[in-house]
Amino acid sequence: MAGSIFGIGLSGLAAAQAGLLTASHNISNVNTPNYSRQEVVQSSRLPLYSGSGFIGRGVNVDSIRRVYDTFLVAQTRQAQADASQLDTYQTQLSKLDNLFGDPVTGLAPAVDQFFASVNAAGANPADAASRRVVLASAQGLINRFHLIDDRLSETRTSLNQQITGTVASVNTTAAEIASLNQKIAASSAGSGGLLPPNDLLDQRDALLTSLNQQIGAVAVTQADGTFNVFLTNGQALVVGQDAFKLAAVPDPIDPQNIEVGLQAGTNVIRFSATDLTGGSLTGLLAARDNVLGDAQRTLGRIAVVLAKAFNDQHALGVDVNGVPGQPFFAVPSAQVQNTLTNTGTAAIGVAITSASALTASDYLLRYDGVNYTLTRLSDNTVNTFATLPQSVDGLNVTLNAGAPAAGDSFLLQPTRYAARDLTVKLSDPAGIALAAPIRTGAPVTNTGSGRISAGSVTNAYLATPLAGNVALTYNAGAGTLTGFPATQAVTVTVGATATTYPAGSPVPYTADATIAFGGIQFTLSGAPANADTFNIAPNTGGAGDNRNGLLLAGLATQNLVGGGSATLQGAYGQLVGQLGTITQQAQIESDAQTHLLTQAQQAQQQVSGVNLDEEAANLQRYQQAYQASSKVLAIAATLFDSILSLGGR
Amino acid sequence: MRVSTSLVYSLGVDGIARAQADLLRTQQQIASGQRLLAPADDPVASVQVLGISAAQGQTAQYAANVGTGKDSLRIYESSLAQVTDQLQSIRTLAVNAGSGALNDSDRASLAGELGNRLQQLIGIANGKDGAGHYLFSGFQVNTQPFVANANGATYFGDQGQVQLQVASGRQLPASENGNAVFENIRSGNGAFAALAAGANTGTGVISGGQVINAAALTGHNYQLQFNVAGGVTTYDILDTTTASVVSAGNAYTAGAPIAVAGLQVQITGAPANGDAFTLAPSGNQSLFTTVAKLIATLKIPGGNPAGRAQITNGLNQALQNVDQALDHVLVVRAGIGARLGELDALTSANDDRSLQYQQTLSNLRDLDYNKALSDFARQQLALDAAQKSFLKVSALSLFNHI
Repeated sequence: MAGSIFGIGLSGLAAAQAGLLTASHNISNVNTPNYSRQEVVQSSRLPLYSGSGFIGRGVNVDSIRRVYDTFLVAQTRQAQADASQLDTYQTQLSKLDNLFGDPVTGLAPAVDQFFASVNAAGANPADAASRRVVLASAQGLINRFHLIDDRLSETRTSLNQQITGTVASVNTTAAEIASLNQKIAASSAGSGGLLPPNDLLDQRDALLTSLNQQIGAVAVTQADGTFNVFLTNGQALVVGQDAFKLAAVPDPIDPQNIEVGLQAGTNVIRFSATDLTGGSLTGLLAARDNVLGDAQRTLGRIAVVLAKAFNDQHALGVDVNGVPGQPFFAVPSAQVQNTLTNTGTAAIGVAITSASALTASDYLLRYDGVNYTLTRLSDNTVNTFATLPQSVDGLNVTLNAGAPAAGDSFLLQPTRYAARDLTVKLSDPAGIALAAPIRTGAPVTNTGSGRISAGSVTNAYLATPLAGNVALTYNAGAGTLTGFPATQAVTVTVGATATTYPAGSPVPYTADATIAFGGIQFTLSGAPANADTFNIAPNTGGAGDNRNGLLLAGLATQNLVGGGSATLQGAYGQLVGQLGTITQQAQIESDAQTHLLTQAQQAQQQVSGVNLDEEAANLQRYQQAYQASSKVLAIAATLFDSILSLGGR
Repeated sequence: MRVSTSLVYSLGVDGIARAQADLLRTQQQIASGQRLLAPADDPVASVQVLGISAAQGQTAQYAANVGTGKDSLRIYESSLAQVTDQLQSIRTLAVNAGSGALNDSDRASLAGELGNRLQQLIGIANGKDGAGHYLFSGFQVNTQPFVANANGATYFGDQGQVQLQVASGRQLPASENGNAVFENIRSGNGAFAALAAGANTGTGVISGGQVINAAALTGHNYQLQFNVAGGVTTYDILDTTTASVVSAGNAYTAGAPIAVAGLQVQITGAPANGDAFTLAPSGNQSLFTTVAKLIATLKIPGGNPAGRAQITNGLNQALQNVDQALDHVLVVRAGIGARLGELDALTSANDDRSLQYQQTLSNLRDLDYNKALSDFARQQLALDAAQKSFLKVSALSLFNHI
């Protein structure tokens, strides 16, 4: 009898001790991340059957289990993956947004300043100082392009480094999960899975959460207690006790970009970035591929359009010495990147033929053995053709040498490096072509009231510049003008009607008609008298002429970009607006996702978190139980003593 | 609901951090005075800000050009005012030279003075602006426009006129060239010039004439050829352009109007046999040539009636041409005045526009301090409350009582 009381008392003592230990363990892990509170699972022992019924035999400690809700934990993990992705994305975007939007470091003030200096030089064409300011402010504008592009390139490098770093970290985490899988399998095997290694499970959960901060991954629990971990594209990362390795490798099409893939022996099977979701890695990839590249190309397009439009207009003028305008900017050239896996010998060339038709996209040229396909990567528009050269979107694509092999591809980047490569070519302030190449006049000896306008030139003038004075003579009898260059046809535009007269034939005079030949156009008005002459001559010594300067300054307000849809400043504004909108959207989504994460964490903590007050109460409870069981033992001893004293009587 | 202890702390800290972030943002706004700290704060407004800033920059350029244009035109205006003064003095001298009381040496001294005036006029026409560039040489600002010669001066500039962009779509001429100002002056009465032949020996003096029938004008040169036979003076009208005779043997009456092809002149005095007068369509005559011819006229010996008639004819013609020059310079000055007026109007239009841009920018970008300060106070209160309540909650523990 006394023996069974001892047994019962001891079992109670052991159970209370287990309870005290568990409560203390909970208290000590109150701040351990991903710790799930543990509790003692106990039950009464099988009773002893006696004639008078079942007599209890005390308590058993069955196991220590963690309080855990699989659904809530999975929800938290998913929320964590999304929140990390959006937070990383948003952080990267905010940096770009600030860079472009800053009123000091942005491009807008530099463009303003440049055109203001061109305007000032146009107002004082003979002033050497204001010409010098044009070159200085052009250099300032170039520096601003370079500065922004440098920051974008730095961002790209930094993103690539972070991607590489994250991949390494993912690999470490995956290896640790695999190793914990092994320990958990071994620990569970001893008890047949009935006694879970709670703390190992918590550690593995913590690793999985940290993995989800880096890349979205789901876990599937196996019968032996191990996890298999899969990425969102279906690729297994951890299977039982084995971890696969991810690798960060340069994209063979565009080696400037680091891509993520699976290391398979010596090969790397690249993932499509769009198949991955969740985690900072995805956020980094999205920021680089969706936003950074776009910003860099849009900036590059502004650089190309500015350089080309300014140079084209500059070429239509003459400088202080009457020399035709030399290139003002060095126009950045389009780049071609041969895919590393190409087997053919083709050298593909790309030239920008029309800056205004240029898009802010990269292009992928593929050759399938028969046809070329040119894909505009911004919207995947495909052009197919059998031969090169071809012109698409203001680009002329040529096969310069060799021949492509089937399956070869080439990345065409017309604008990507343009902001970096833009430079000022002109160094002599006197070389700024502010004057027009021609001037007009009428001699004093004219007796009629005919007047000739100042005249202007178009691109066609460059092919046939004036060699000397062209004197047009009015014949009152026939009402015609003669003296046009013998080899050039003359076009007379009256209102909207243009009539072309073959070279060498007299041209009827109509007052206020626009007369054009060889890229020169001017207007004659009034009533000339017979034999009156009008001169069109090369503009030598025209240091005070600002006609081309006015046209150069006027480029600021012309719609030069995107097929005549925006001014330079407008195109930059669009870029800033687009970045601002994306960033704002990312901030809103990130805030919302962070909120969801907090909610999921709260729900999970409500179930699994340690409450110190609760543990304090548990300590009290188990302490009292311990004390009571001790009393049971004391009473058992007293009972035993009283039996012994019987013998002594 | 169970509450885990770490959740109490993390939620408390999160709440405080959020309140701090809000407060800091408002503080940044207040410190910078800007509502928009990054384009993402309001992308639409940010794009508008860029657009309006660009327009503002453009307006500032126009305003600068308006200033340049005013400075430049004022220099031209003051030069031309001097030209007008000189021409008026020359006119006075020419009128005085017509006085019958003057003898050859008086006229010679007048000619000497006119020579000085001519030099001064050429000096004005060769004037430079503040930067040392010639005002009246068109685009050839480094070339001296006028070089004196026996007939006045030769022009070496061109007919260029500098335009300034003073408003969107408005270019305004900010210079005048020497050809337009000093050379393109109609001679005679503006339609035709009546001249006496230099070899005339009679005392015939021809008037400046006028157009009586514009529809009948032919643009031909005519000559009035006088014949005196037997005390009877007649004249033939010849069309020298077509070398044909218009009418012959017309009886001459001194002072009677003579009309041909819409032109009408009067000849007074007694032309000698063989004297001729020509009527030629007006051409352009340089102001300097006009003065040089006046000087040459004053050097003609006036000792006999024929000489005096030549002087009278020359002076008449010179006065007509000086008047033409005065008119012309006044027209040019009126044009400059009109442009200055337009520039003044543009100045105030530009000022208005810049103010309007400034206001729009301010509305888009600048902070509403009333709202910001009230937000700040509210956020401060929220932070304070979050901190205090957190302290209270975290201080509660059963362990305090065990």
